[in-house]
Amino acid sequence: MLKRKTARGKKVADPTCKQISVLVVDYVSNRLHRRAKREFEEHLSICPDCVSFLKTYKKTIVATGSIRVPTLPVKLRKNVLAFLRKKMRQIAVFLLVFADQTWR
Amino acid sequence: MFNQEEMSMMMSGSETTVAGTVRRRIPVRLPSQKLPRRSHNLHRLTPASAAAPDLTEVIERLKSGDQGALETIFNLYSVKLYNIALRILGEPADTEEIIQDVFWTVYRKAKSFQGNSQFATWLYRLTVNAALGKIRRRKNNKEVEYEEYLPKFQTDGHHSVRPVVDWSDNLDEQYSKHELQEVLGKALNELKTLDKSVVVLSDLEGLSDKEIAVSLGLSVSAVKTRLHRARLFLRGKLAVHLGYSPA
Repeated sequence: MLKRKTARGKKVADPTCKQISVLVVDYVSNRLHRRAKREFEEHLSICPDCVSFLKTYKKTIVATGSIRVPTLPVKLRKNVLAFLRKKMRQIAVFLLVFADQTWR
Repeated sequence: MFNQEEMSMMMSGSETTVAGTVRRRIPVRLPSQKLPRRSHNLHRLTPASAAAPDLTEVIERLKSGDQGALETIFNLYSVKLYNIALRILGEPADTEEIIQDVFWTVYRKAKSFQGNSQFATWLYRLTVNAALGKIRRRKNNKEVEYEEYLPKFQTDGHHSVRPVVDWSDNLDEQYSKHELQEVLGKALNELKTLDKSVVVLSDLEGLSDKEIAVSLGLSVSAVKTRLHRARLFLRGKLAVHLGYSPA
């Protein structure tokens, strides 16, 4: 782990590749705090391995997001709507019968 | 004709509470409206629709038992819920039953929806739970170990395999869109079911970590941890498929 001095002369440890691999999830969604983001990007500027890691991580997200599924089948849509209408009709009939019995 | 729960609802009209709803009031968002912008621009936005009905009014009608309101809700959300269910299940079998059950539950339990959580999040939760329940009941549900496909590091924190190859450009050159989808689809199906649900809701459906946390009953940090590990696994799978080390 490399050590460097801050502007105030304090010695701080630079993040390692392992730590970078953990922070990447927040980095790609831009949720790293300003200081952590600066350290992350400083590490990238000296570590080509982590640049490659970041690029392939991002590519994985993009590729996963491009997976397509078939659109809602017309038959499924028809079947589900028919089922829901039938069940709602049954409820309506039940309530009518119940109201009628209560009134009597 | 009706189960006990349905009978009880019809007789008393009593309200039940939805487990896991958050107390903070979140404005209801139509599916046609834009999701919160994510800075990495990796999510896909749903196109805006000019003729979107007033969801609050539709929900009120639904609570009073309006059948037309349920059909409006169905028209608004069925495609999205079908996609989520199909992606989690990995195959079309059982999706019809899930969609049917979800919308029937929505009709029966509409009164219990307090508006504390987003209506859409409630629907996602019902769908994901139904899909996960189906998967758990499958006997051939095998999960793989991630370790083999995760990056490895030396004790000093450096990558154990160097140089790390940037194959991000090779992917589109070497594989057609169809082949790539097949590889990723297969890898996605190897994920642990809850991790798969997190990836589906995040990277495929564009939900925020908070929405996913509410939908799955997890903490936001648990969502992030699962999402990260699942992405690393998928990354490792792609690397191996291209002939590189997952490390």
